[in-house]
Amino acid sequence: MVRIPTRVLLVDDEEDFVEMLSLRLKEAGEQVSTAYSGKACLDILAQDHIDVVILDIRMPGMDGMETLGEIKKRFPLVEVIMLTGHGSAETAVDGMKLGAFDYLMKPADFEELTHKLQGARRRKDEQEERIRQAEARLLMRKSGGTF
Amino acid sequence: MESIRVLLVDDENDFRRTVAKRLTKRGMDIRQATGGEECLNILKKDPVDVVVLDLKMPGMDGMETLHHIKNSCPGTEVIMLTGHATTRDGVDGIKAGAFDYLSKPIELEHLAGKIRQAFEKRTREDEKQKEKDFRARMEQQMIATERLASLGTLAAGVAHEINNPLAIIKESAGWMKSILQKKELAQMPRRGDFEMALGKIENGVERARRITHQLLGSVKQTDATLSKVDLKELVEETMVLHQKEADQKGVQLLETIDPGKNVIWSDPYKLRQVLINILSNAVHATDAGGKITVTAETSEDHATLTISDSGRGIPGEHLKKIFEPFFSTKPTGEGTGLGLFVTRSIIDKLGGEIEVESRVGQGTQFSVKLPKHPDVKCNSNKGSYKGQNDERA
Repeated sequence: MVRIPTRVLLVDDEEDFVEMLSLRLKEAGEQVSTAYSGKACLDILAQDHIDVVILDIRMPGMDGMETLGEIKKRFPLVEVIMLTGHGSAETAVDGMKLGAFDYLMKPADFEELTHKLQGARRRKDEQEERIRQAEARLLMRKSGGTF
Repeated sequence: MESIRVLLVDDENDFRRTVAKRLTKRGMDIRQATGGEECLNILKKDPVDVVVLDLKMPGMDGMETLHHIKNSCPGTEVIMLTGHATTRDGVDGIKAGAFDYLSKPIELEHLAGKIRQAFEKRTREDEKQKEKDFRARMEQQMIATERLASLGTLAAGVAHEINNPLAIIKESAGWMKSILQKKELAQMPRRGDFEMALGKIENGVERARRITHQLLGSVKQTDATLSKVDLKELVEETMVLHQKEADQKGVQLLETIDPGKNVIWSDPYKLRQVLINILSNAVHATDAGGKITVTAETSEDHATLTISDSGRGIPGEHLKKIFEPFFSTKPTGEGTGLGLFVTRSIIDKLGGEIEVESRVGQGTQFSVKLPKHPDVKCNSNKGSYKGQNDERA
């Protein structure tokens, strides 16, 4: 079976980290874009199709939480996994209340990351599937059940 | 009020007995001695508050006895009886440390008054000494606390800064590893060496990661979320986490908490972390056949959890340091030395206290005292230890 790559957007101001993690994710077969700031992240989301954003909470300028809020407002179907270097789960939990799929502590375990990535991807696929079905039903009703 | 303990020292039996009888009537606790040697022997066994000492005695005389008393029990007050001697002897006595002197024949009321004054002086000095000791102890504790606090803050700052480069190292090593697993590299010379070294890098990062996360966990405890916590439920839940390891080691986990009676307001997550840390130490320190018991007690405004193990115990020289960051007796790489440091800082923030008692070869007991309705984030800091000779390897 051909595995459809997840379209991942990696957002962190640590450039070396972004570079290495994206190489690794690509090696694992994902399709990765990168951004070094919250603003760049939103720009990319506006142009490209992205399934999951991996978002660092601590960034200069527009921080992770703010970026998360914008993502959920403008691209509600995009799933977000937060990365926290704080070592405290509180902010991450707040993020999940705002709609993030999950969080990971830095430095994250790659297995765990891929696992959560798949979970996020699945949630997005399922949601999109439900939307398609709902649209189909709507269309059926409009057309009076006949084609 | 407890009676004043007085030792009468005089070789004139009739005089001494009469005085003893009359002072006893006034509520004093009187002992008697016929000479200097006997006086010192009695003091050695059973100290008194005030010695009434006749100056002129056969054998060891009053002055000599006075010197001995002041040497061996400096807190004891001495009143000299100068009898037919001159006033100068009395003055010499005062210079040598006596409280005062009276000339024979004495008026009993006068003597009783002097004894009371001497006793009051002694009590005052005792209190002063106690206060001094207490202040010294407090100061020492403050210094230790401040040192720990600043160490903790510094360490957490360092930990935070280290996390990012750690993540870079980890991803780089992981990436190289995944490349090595590619088919086209199957024939690469010395591939095994590379894999081995990359594995070592990953293990090293994992170790550093454990340290930084625990450190950050200790300082970044922002808001505690308070809710009702039934200590029995919490202990049961936490024990489940350690059951497997305990079973493997042949250690028994017991809990004897009354259901529903030990309910407090606290942060269940932080409290669980505290329990996890203490219990996992207990399991590590206890050998096959041993037992770990958790009990709880509730008073009007506190609940105390006690975790006792029948393990190896903690030696006295370690007991003083167990709450310090990076103190560990486990082999390098196994313990971060942060477990109890974090535990203590959590308990501080929850407004509680942790105490440890331990005996080498018999076991260790941690008591965690928590307020039922905490005033969260009060800055009290009371991790304390009291221990004798103890052992935890």
